[in-house]
Amino acid sequence: MTGTNLDQPALRLAGVKKSFGPIEVIRGLNLDIRAGERHAIIGPNGAGKSTLFNLISGMFAPSAGEISLNAQSIAGLSPHRINRAGLARSFQITNIFHRLSVFENLRIGVLARHGVRYGLFRPVSRMRQVNDETIEVLTRVGLEARSNDPAGDLTYSEQRALEIGMTLTTGAQVILLDEPTAGMSREETAKAMDLIRTVTEGKTLLMVEHDMGVVFGLCDRVSVLVYGNVLATDTPERISANREVQEAYLGQEAS
Amino acid sequence: MAAIRNTLLLAALLVLLIAVPPFLGLGWQNALVNVLIASLFALAFNLLIGQAGLLSFGHAAYFGIGAFAALHLMIAIEDGFPFPTPLVPLAGAAAGLLIGLIAGYFATMRSGVYFALVTLAIAELFHSLAPRLEAVFGGESGISSMRMPWSDITFGSMLEVYYLTLAWVLICGLGLWAYTRTPFGRLTLALRDNEQRVRFLGYSTHSVKVIVFAVSAMLTGVAGSLQAISNETANYSLFASDVSAQVVLQTFVGGSTVFFGPVIGAAVFTLFSFLVSDLTRSWVLYQGLIFVLVMLYAPSGIGGVLQHHIRNRRQLDWRPLSGLYLLALAGGVLITAGTVFLTETVAVLFGEEYAVARRNAGGSLPAYELFGAHWDPTDIFTWLLPLVLLAGGGAITVSTRRHVTAFWNRGGGSRDTAARPVSLGGAA
Ligand SMILES: Nc1ncnc2c1ncn2[C@@H]1O[C@H](COP(=O)(O)OP(=O)(O)OP(=O)(O)O)[C@@H](O)[C@H]1O
Ligand SMILES: [Mg+2]
Repeated sequence: MTGTNLDQPALRLAGVKKSFGPIEVIRGLNLDIRAGERHAIIGPNGAGKSTLFNLISGMFAPSAGEISLNAQSIAGLSPHRINRAGLARSFQITNIFHRLSVFENLRIGVLARHGVRYGLFRPVSRMRQVNDETIEVLTRVGLEARSNDPAGDLTYSEQRALEIGMTLTTGAQVILLDEPTAGMSREETAKAMDLIRTVTEGKTLLMVEHDMGVVFGLCDRVSVLVYGNVLATDTPERISANREVQEAYLGQEAS
Repeated sequence: MAAIRNTLLLAALLVLLIAVPPFLGLGWQNALVNVLIASLFALAFNLLIGQAGLLSFGHAAYFGIGAFAALHLMIAIEDGFPFPTPLVPLAGAAAGLLIGLIAGYFATMRSGVYFALVTLAIAELFHSLAPRLEAVFGGESGISSMRMPWSDITFGSMLEVYYLTLAWVLICGLGLWAYTRTPFGRLTLALRDNEQRVRFLGYSTHSVKVIVFAVSAMLTGVAGSLQAISNETANYSLFASDVSAQVVLQTFVGGSTVFFGPVIGAAVFTLFSFLVSDLTRSWVLYQGLIFVLVMLYAPSGIGGVLQHHIRNRRQLDWRPLSGLYLLALAGGVLITAGTVFLTETVAVLFGEEYAVARRNAGGSLPAYELFGAHWDPTDIFTWLLPLVLLAGGGAITVSTRRHVTAFWNRGGGSRDTAARPVSLGGAA
């Protein structure tokens, strides 16, 4: 693990704001993610969870505020720089290379980690280390049997697994997963949970998750996001007992 | 297996390309040189559209730059600069790469239509500036030079030019082929599929696109310089938009999703113009028709269709299929005959010669000559003939097409090729 300064969060957001035109979606948000923890973000639809991920990962620059990764400012950097600084994300809507094979989908990220971004002078098939590591990720996400199939041919839950696999390939220490289990059956969700648990071992995880079962089973802490602000951050048990949260979110969902 | 078969096929093709031309006349040798140059041009162009998913409408710029760079070097060689003539295309490569880096830097800031428009604008810039830049582009008349001998080769004959061109096109083609198997080549395909995700995997997609663009421009520059070597002259018309358009048409007719598709398109169009342009002035129209038909009925291009059949050759029931294809061919021939007859008739009737003949005939409509026969424009038969040809051909084609579609849907073949990654690039 990097710098075991326990006081220093892996990810810190301070006073972060984001507006789309006149609408302020993220409203001065503060959040600390501790190094090594698994942290869930819950909140109603349209609360700004994906927008928050887009700000952290560099898809959008925040309108105001500071975002730092291991005490290093990343606000407003481009996505590839943030990735190289050690943060990788998955997408709520599957975002893969549909026409490339599953293997190649994963290898792109592995190549990036090995720094052969502009490799023009050697066939990729001869890069033993890269290919071995790709197979390793492939096996971890349970897609060995689909290695040579175009990613577009995978089933929905296989694509979700690939989505997670691609997020791992660049070797980032901080992983952001946006609703990794959305749309999955109970069985698939259980499998995905196991997968996420093993692959984020020793890493920092921030995930958007609607399924409280997954949150309880996986996460150390939970933050509730409502109207672009963090309403509360605590352990899953205490969050589900929190009256304010029940009113703002859980109660709403139950009704 | 497949690899061995492909290698054997390529080797056979290579033997033909080397052994046959000495027995051909000058016209054919020249046509083959043009086929080779157009092939390299289209392959280089297809690196952008087929692999990176970027449609350039201004590749004439890099073709022209390559040609002028080569001519300047040839002029220097004429003046005594010690440089081997066979290596002249290096000048085109260097110039193409340099201009490609600069132009690509700006063009690839945008994608889609905006990218296409920027490339178009850059080519137009060259097209309008070149006639005024006397020193570089030789004004309106352009610049010329002579091929200087090197070692024992005089480069005086078309055959020598042919072999030089062949060597360069093969080397560049192999280079492009090798490119598809490098990490960067695979990344190029990923970029085409999903640029956003590439960015989130730690790549600066702008840099990636600039490099792909520059490589494409470099090889286009080589093609341009081969043309300069062959013609020994070049002028600003090389930057014209029809040069840019031509390579787009060739690539799509040949099939941009198949590695060798653009070569097929380049060969078809170049030979078509060689064979037909002397016969009729409407050949550009016919070329346009071919393009429209291919885009409508075989959007993956000739190469895509061929690849689809090769992929499925084992599970295909060839007997009924070839019967259907023969029928379709017959229908196609009838339609072609009808179309050509009508087109040429219209061309004659609205031509100047016929206007004179009409005046001489006192304003009435005299008979005209076409395909070695006399036709009377007032005779209903003259118009019935092409219409019957078209209707008959149309009927045959439409019903055959229905059967062919049913045949494929019945599982004559498996998947659609158009949706596949560059085939011969192969998933490693
Ligand atoms: N690019 C954008 N342009 C304009 N408005 C946007 C944009 N992205 C998000 N929004 C708006 O911001 C608000 C928050 O959206 P966001 O996708 O972050 O919600 P979410 O919490 O992820 O919701 P869900 O649970 O449905 O995924 C929504 O009202 C959405 O319409
Ligand atoms: Mg969302």
